[in-house]
Amino acid sequence: MHCRNFIQRPVTRREALQTGAHGFGAVALAALLGDRAFAGLPTGTDPLLPRPPHYRPRARNIIFLYMDGGPSQIDTFDYKPLLKKHNGEDPKTAIGKLEPTQFDNVGKVMASPWEFNQYGECGHWVSDLFPHVAKHADKLAMLKSCTSKFSEHTAANYFLHTGSGIQGRPSMGAWVGYGLGSLNQNLPGFVVLNGGLIPPGGLDNFNSGFLPATYQGSVFKTQGQAVANIKPGEARPELQRSKLDALRSLDTHGLDSYGQSEAIESAIRNYETAYLMQTAVPDLMDFDSETEATKKLYGFDAGHKGTKTFARQCLVARRLVERGVRFIELTCPDGAGDRWDQHNKLKEGHEFNCMSVDQPIAGLLEDLEKRGLLEETLVVWAGEFGRTPFAQGGNGRDHNPFGFTMWMAGGGVKGGVSYGETDEWGYKAVQDRIEMHDIHATMLHLLGIEHTKSTFRFGGRDMRLTDVHGHVLHDILL
Amino acid sequence: MPVLRSIPAFLGCLIAAGPVGAEPSAADLEFFEKKVRPLLAAQCYECHSVDSKKLKADLLLDSRAAILRGGDSGPSIVPGKPDESLLIETVRYTNVNLQMPPKTRLSDDQVADLERWVAMGAPWPDEAPPEPGGNREYFDLEARRDSHWCWQPVADVEPPPVEDKSWPLEPLDHFILAGLEEAGLKPAPDADRRTWIRRVSFDLRGLPPTPEEVNAFLDDNSPEAYAEVVDAYLTSDDYGVKWGRHWLDLVRYAESYGHEFDYDIPEAWKYRDYVVKAFNEDVPHDRMIREAIAGDLLPDPRVDESTGLNESITATGFWWLGEATHAPTDVRGDEAVRIDNQVDVFSKSFLGLTVSCARCHDHKFDAISDEDYYSLTGYLQSSRRALAPRDPGGAIAAGATELRQLQERATALAAGPPAPSDRARSPEQLWGFDGSSPAGWMREGEAFPEKPTGGEKLEVALLPATTNHVPAGVWHSGLHGAPLHGTLRSPTFTLKKPELHVRLAATGRVRARIVVDGYFMDEFNALLFNGLELKGKGIDTNGAWQWKRFAGRLHKYVGHRVHLEFIDEGDGYIAIDEIAYAKGAEEMPLVPIADPDALAPVMEQAQAVWKRMPAPDYVLAMTDGTPENDRLHIRGGHQNLGEELPRRFLTALGGGAIPETGSGRLELAEEVTSPENPLTARVQANRIWHHLTGRGLVPTVDDFGVMGEEPSHPELLDWLAARFVESGWSNKQLIRSIVLSRTYRMSCIPHPELTAGQIAEKDPTNEKLHAFRVKRLTSESIRDAILAVSGRLDPKLGGPPVGVHLTSFMEGRGRPKAGPLDGAGRRSLYTAVRRNFLPPFHLAFDYPIPFSTMGRRSNSNVPAQSLVLMNDPFVAAEAERWARQLLTEPDPAKRLTMAYATAFSRDLQAPERSMLDEFLDRQAGLHGTSRDDLRVWSDLAHLLFNKKEFIFIR
Repeated sequence: MHCRNFIQRPVTRREALQTGAHGFGAVALAALLGDRAFAGLPTGTDPLLPRPPHYRPRARNIIFLYMDGGPSQIDTFDYKPLLKKHNGEDPKTAIGKLEPTQFDNVGKVMASPWEFNQYGECGHWVSDLFPHVAKHADKLAMLKSCTSKFSEHTAANYFLHTGSGIQGRPSMGAWVGYGLGSLNQNLPGFVVLNGGLIPPGGLDNFNSGFLPATYQGSVFKTQGQAVANIKPGEARPELQRSKLDALRSLDTHGLDSYGQSEAIESAIRNYETAYLMQTAVPDLMDFDSETEATKKLYGFDAGHKGTKTFARQCLVARRLVERGVRFIELTCPDGAGDRWDQHNKLKEGHEFNCMSVDQPIAGLLEDLEKRGLLEETLVVWAGEFGRTPFAQGGNGRDHNPFGFTMWMAGGGVKGGVSYGETDEWGYKAVQDRIEMHDIHATMLHLLGIEHTKSTFRFGGRDMRLTDVHGHVLHDILL
Repeated sequence: MPVLRSIPAFLGCLIAAGPVGAEPSAADLEFFEKKVRPLLAAQCYECHSVDSKKLKADLLLDSRAAILRGGDSGPSIVPGKPDESLLIETVRYTNVNLQMPPKTRLSDDQVADLERWVAMGAPWPDEAPPEPGGNREYFDLEARRDSHWCWQPVADVEPPPVEDKSWPLEPLDHFILAGLEEAGLKPAPDADRRTWIRRVSFDLRGLPPTPEEVNAFLDDNSPEAYAEVVDAYLTSDDYGVKWGRHWLDLVRYAESYGHEFDYDIPEAWKYRDYVVKAFNEDVPHDRMIREAIAGDLLPDPRVDESTGLNESITATGFWWLGEATHAPTDVRGDEAVRIDNQVDVFSKSFLGLTVSCARCHDHKFDAISDEDYYSLTGYLQSSRRALAPRDPGGAIAAGATELRQLQERATALAAGPPAPSDRARSPEQLWGFDGSSPAGWMREGEAFPEKPTGGEKLEVALLPATTNHVPAGVWHSGLHGAPLHGTLRSPTFTLKKPELHVRLAATGRVRARIVVDGYFMDEFNALLFNGLELKGKGIDTNGAWQWKRFAGRLHKYVGHRVHLEFIDEGDGYIAIDEIAYAKGAEEMPLVPIADPDALAPVMEQAQAVWKRMPAPDYVLAMTDGTPENDRLHIRGGHQNLGEELPRRFLTALGGGAIPETGSGRLELAEEVTSPENPLTARVQANRIWHHLTGRGLVPTVDDFGVMGEEPSHPELLDWLAARFVESGWSNKQLIRSIVLSRTYRMSCIPHPELTAGQIAEKDPTNEKLHAFRVKRLTSESIRDAILAVSGRLDPKLGGPPVGVHLTSFMEGRGRPKAGPLDGAGRRSLYTAVRRNFLPPFHLAFDYPIPFSTMGRRSNSNVPAQSLVLMNDPFVAAEAERWARQLLTEPDPAKRLTMAYATAFSRDLQAPERSMLDEFLDRQAGLHGTSRDDLRVWSDLAHLLFNKKEFIFIR
């Protein structure tokens, strides 16, 4: 078992917002705690109470902006002038050997339809698709040599989320909860803010796999009722309260008949927490305390429907950060086109998607910074793969897992740096190649978790998010 | 063998600088020292030298001999030939599966230097290679086997003596009591009878006992009272529902494939029904395992008495219940992943071993080599997925026999001109047929006759007059008429050309497919497999002989292992004349029958037979394909193959080579269930103990290996395993002996003389069972108990699943049709198991995600569960239903008694009665109604569903 050094830190304003009873997670049965699989947790530990990290964390929370479908690196952040020069040529001649693609419908070399400019002091190249995010160039660490093992959505989604292309493994947010517990006991430790699209592979992208159900992602909507079973069925609150009071009396009365009653006591306490959660969740979604200026910053007043949806998601993400939720993932708004998956009509599709996310993301970065939250919140922008520098058919691009761009900001990451490179076509990573496991290792590292030591025994192996791989990208860390 | 692999390391010292043709020149050596050695040191030695902390790919690059020897993938260079050198291919970064250094491509100059160095003949100074460090992995299978308990034979043990001879009821109690006495502990007193019957009812049936059952048991003072309850429960159908589900947890049972579109797994529910029935009939456990592994091959398949259907073949469906994806760009890789999951489920479920851990390297801890792993994968490569037609009571076969005679008569009646057997053949023929059975072809169902037509004369098929003359050398699914079902499969072969042609005659509901590397999802989504299936208009020749072409994406699969499938779905026919890489001459006209009227009486008789014949019942199954061995996948890479490995069972369990006549699964099944195998019986005995007592004697029920936990009571485990085998592997008998034991009868409150301190010191985790363990119900039992109590439970067994009730939170591709909130009142087992739409109620209570074997569910205890019971509309609706039921009793006091008897199998205590009285008053006040109002009693019913006693069983 590894040693966790406890780090004393002062109570912040944020912690005052975080309530402390027992939350979405909580006390496991004694039987479970006696299990060697849980060797990482001392007996009697509440699985969701905060736990000291392996070393000093740089980030307390992660906001993972999941760009479902695979945004094109060469049309967003990975500027490749050579494409323009060879536009319309046969890629087999211009580029050379091509890897098999998903749809096997290889067209011509296709230049980006968007102009690129340099932004900030760092001079990051950003295309005209991201005018708002471009203003924050100096906050971004570009990761331009990302790779995946899969060129099919579902396997690639599982890989991005769980480090394995196979269905049913724990999602990264679940691993974070398992490693660190939660700072807020009245909200889940891993919240997925659903913009309307559930990625291919479904909810298993956010599941806890072989980790206890405690750690699974809770999918929240940002309109209407946020999550299932959070709204009492009783017509009036006092009817429920009265029921719960009677329940507590009956349960406490029966406690003696169980001998070792630890599990029962926990289950009794869970009801009190559940009761509090019924108000914590609606409170999260209540924007009355937000100023009009803030809402505007995120794009609440935008004309594009997708922008408004994603603006709500981004604002809730900030509010979740304030409430101490460790891992927040945003999925994309539904709309015309097919996610970021532009097998055809690249121009229309990418413009639509960018319009949805650009301003809200910029608003989020700015708002987090203004409130002093950015330095301890890691924001990650990522798709499951990128797209080919040659066309699929006439005007689309196929999946490309061999080299694509993600970026990170805040939370202990250097702004304005660029790490890794693809070849001159933006096709394959050739320098400082990054694997998905490296992204995971780095995220865990920033939270203070040593990825090789955060293990869970299942099926005869000490399983890790990073499997047997993963290198922390030290070059981009502060 | 990995041990062999490491021997050349020592040989390396002997052959020193290796076979250099001529002595390298000083200039060559200087080039090496200046350009190559520093490059190797800087870029490669972190992972490929004697000083590497962890040696990768078993490859050293720090001496010439080591480079020539190479690593897992073979020699690194061919001196003088850069283009044939693995090292050069790797640094060129042209093969995405083989790129080094892993992170950053070398500069063009650096690559050129290495190319030049290899072209020079790889000059290296004459120096002693560095001393091998301690970083090579050694693997000694025998030593591992000899040193770990699980591989040892089941010991012949006797129940140990105990001091308190009055305590044991069953021999197994001696083991538990001896353990307690040794620790100075006393067993808990017996639980009261109500507690016991509630416990045993949930454990055997997954349902609460009815108040009538409880009362009958309380009134029965005979010594047989306990046994009578147990026997009644074991013979109830609900036993199979409960224990079948435990088995389904092992085989990652689901009814859809998950991934992007969550397509249906065809006929999956029939497998579920097979399992329930097998448990209810107490089919010997070794037999169930044999059926699972090789039910299609057993000489004595079990047949259902009422339907006359083959049950044993249904059992093989378990191999195919895994997830599946619809567009793998690497279809062989997809097969490797699928087989890995099959091996994983097989070895964990039946052997309690994690064989899959040996896919990329020898097992890190257990006596399982990577060669063992690839010796097992061969069985699966030699087998195929099939929708197998089952013949109800042999009625189809009987009809086919009659039809054969009719067809012979028809041939005799309408004897035509000689068969044109000398028709022009394709020069690139793969298969043509004569009257004999061609080697390696497999058939299912009755449509395709045992062999193609032969002989001198045209045969006559029982078909419409224009198409019924059949030449010799044709395999014809309509010979005995259009209504027969059947499938014909070719041997597996390596595809050599991008097109494949078949001369055939076909019409109706028939298909022809090329199956690549066992891949089957193209039937749902042909994205990457267009052109590999002929169906509908693409195959219908209206009975004429034509060449049909497989093309499209087939070119992608040249070099892959493929087989052909011809499927007749019972309405039409397909006749195959010739299969070739290029089509041959077209001419093969239909030969009309001179006097069709002569056939009329025969056709009339055939009509009667067809009418009588039932349709086959399809199940998802495994059948034998072409026997083939797998090759070692070096470091788990299917593109990096090592030696061929004959199919055999695990070395540590005495695996021997198997005959070449079939897949070998039947022999494998025998070895798995052999009495010599110490694992299989132990694993099942331990699973039963786990389910009944809340914890296995080996808590890691799916892993008996080094990473698992050691048994708490090894002698008891062996004693139970031996009795289990003696009883003929009867699950029911083992369960019976455990639930009738004194151990199982214990209260969960420890013996009054035991102090908290003693317990904390001697048995803090209750491993020794000083008291019975409190168990939380499974998700299914919680829901089923709610239905049972509310009166909604429909005890019906089997059949297609009831749709999952969908909330607005359950979204995504492949969203199924929503089912009713109450699941039609059926037991939870019958709710659809769709991978991407698992029921949230069940997930909250640790229902397993079906990706691999899950013999022990996790057991969480979280507020999300409280929220489900508090706010899920299903719970509220059933509470109201129950309240209506309660209100039929006019006396409120009796109502409460009824409610407690139904929900908790007991009467209320006085304080509880007053608490609830107070509650009823309060709710009536809040609702502004009388105490007898439905809303008030719905609140009470809802409250009781939320009481901990409802889900925690003492």
